[in-house]
Amino acid sequence: MENMIYADDLRKEFKKIIKEPGIKGSVKALFKPHKEIVKAVDGITFSVPKGEILGFIGPNGAGKSTVIKMLTGILTPTSGTCRINGKIPQEDRKNYVREIGVVFGQRTQLWWDLALRETYAVLKEIYQVPDDKYKKRMDFLNEVLELDSFITSPVRTLSLGQRMRADIAASLLHSPKVLFLDEPTIGLDVVVKENIRNAIRRINAEEGTTVILTTHDLSDIELLCERIVMVDKGKKVFDGAISELKRDYGDVRTLNFELVNSPDFKLLDYKRRFNLTDDDISVERDKGTVKVRFDTAAVSVEEIISYTLSTVHVKDLNIKDVEIEEIIKKLYRREVRV
Amino acid sequence: MRYFRLHRIFIAQYLKKLMEYKADFLLGAVGLLFAQAIQLIFIGIIFSQIPDLRGWTYEQILFIYGFSLISKSLDHLFTDNLWMVGYRIIRKGDFDKYLTRPINTLFHVIAENFCVDAFGEMLTCVLLLCVSIPKLNMPFHWYTIPLWIVAAIFATLIYTSLKIITAAIAFWTKSSGHITHMLYMANDFSKYPVSIYNRFVQIVITYILPFAFTAYFPASYFLTGKDPLFCIGGTVVAGSLLFALALFVWNRGLKAYESAGS
Repeated sequence: MENMIYADDLRKEFKKIIKEPGIKGSVKALFKPHKEIVKAVDGITFSVPKGEILGFIGPNGAGKSTVIKMLTGILTPTSGTCRINGKIPQEDRKNYVREIGVVFGQRTQLWWDLALRETYAVLKEIYQVPDDKYKKRMDFLNEVLELDSFITSPVRTLSLGQRMRADIAASLLHSPKVLFLDEPTIGLDVVVKENIRNAIRRINAEEGTTVILTTHDLSDIELLCERIVMVDKGKKVFDGAISELKRDYGDVRTLNFELVNSPDFKLLDYKRRFNLTDDDISVERDKGTVKVRFDTAAVSVEEIISYTLSTVHVKDLNIKDVEIEEIIKKLYRREVRV
Repeated sequence: MRYFRLHRIFIAQYLKKLMEYKADFLLGAVGLLFAQAIQLIFIGIIFSQIPDLRGWTYEQILFIYGFSLISKSLDHLFTDNLWMVGYRIIRKGDFDKYLTRPINTLFHVIAENFCVDAFGEMLTCVLLLCVSIPKLNMPFHWYTIPLWIVAAIFATLIYTSLKIITAAIAFWTKSSGHITHMLYMANDFSKYPVSIYNRFVQIVITYILPFAFTAYFPASYFLTGKDPLFCIGGTVVAGSLLFALALFVWNRGLKAYESAGS
């Protein structure tokens, strides 16, 4: 399939002046600066096919935002190239940005003091959206993101959830081919998160928009992305489908058993029964509930259930969906060698 | 053309914002009128004590002072947001927004703000010119008015370009508001006849920071009709060269922009 986004050996270095603490250190740094080069992005290569939603994840300070800023033309790479829809962002910025939408969850691009619809009116002019198209677009965005109830309020009075919806609508006004979302669900409640995920899914399905999404909320990833790229300390540490991640690094599942007699808990000894280590399984107890989290590569769901049911009286049991969170935590902690 | 239209829209939005905070606007306007009145009184007192200065009469000095405010107030009215570029926008990473929009960044940042405070300076400017011109026997030809317009445009360009350059320094240093401020202090020299200063100051404000071309040189041409090539031509050349330099520095700055963590 045709690649929409292509990044080749992207690097970004920042010069940093190391200061000793205190005023003395600051003065010293002024006359005799001790410079150090920080490699924020250290040779990242990846591509995104047209119409894909790519999850771009990594711990804080991994270089996610720096990559996004290079792809959107905000930063100039120290070396390496990126090409989006056949264009190099740094070469022809003004034409390039017409085709992309950008949302930085931590920052708004709306006009703070004006009614929300004024922002859209200005953006319409900036992006030269024709009147009839604009009207249709606003109707569509209203429907998808439910802007109607606050479109006449000044932006400063919006709640965070409203503001984020408004910001996403602003980034979509000119029907971009690629949408960059940097933490679009940060700090939002479950309902708004759901609303925003639905909107992203719909835009992607109906318009074939390619989406790059950075987030710390792994349910965003599980619900929206087929593929993830994980970065850490400026380097790519994983690139592939979520199913691959699970296959390669273990499929961690959680079973919850509610016991009839909670002291029965002592009878359960999974480690000895299946000969497992601490890495394979963890058991937590909360009053009458036993939470068993295990790697299906080491022991199957069936084995755990039948052993538990035959050992103790179980009032209720539930199986939690597959969690990639555990794998990612391991990767973040570099427990897994890639 | 598209940019003119956009500029109008930005100004309209700015005025709406002003109306959103009526109390702030009204108090600001009152304060401004006070400040301008005080300045006028001050100018009156100073110049009434000086009947002439190195051959310049009281009215001629008032005229030069008034003329200096044309370009200063125009620049102030349209490009005030450049201050914020040096003080805050770059340092906080808010410049990201301008880089993701399909219009010229410099235009966008400038057009976003419209400084109504400048109307105070314009008022002073008009008053000074109205008081001084009738008492001066200035040469007048058919081309005098077009030359005024040319001089005003390029003199404003000198101010704006210097502001662009000092603001753009922040792309490298993160903050440069104080440099712009220092420069603004230096422009006080332009309000008075250059001939009153020593050689060093004269060279600096003519060839290095050409503030003399924002007021004294063009004004002296309109007063005396002498040396049009140097006085008006110099303003055009200084304005054009500085503006070219400003665009160069700005575009280099964009490449050096480092944003801020998020």
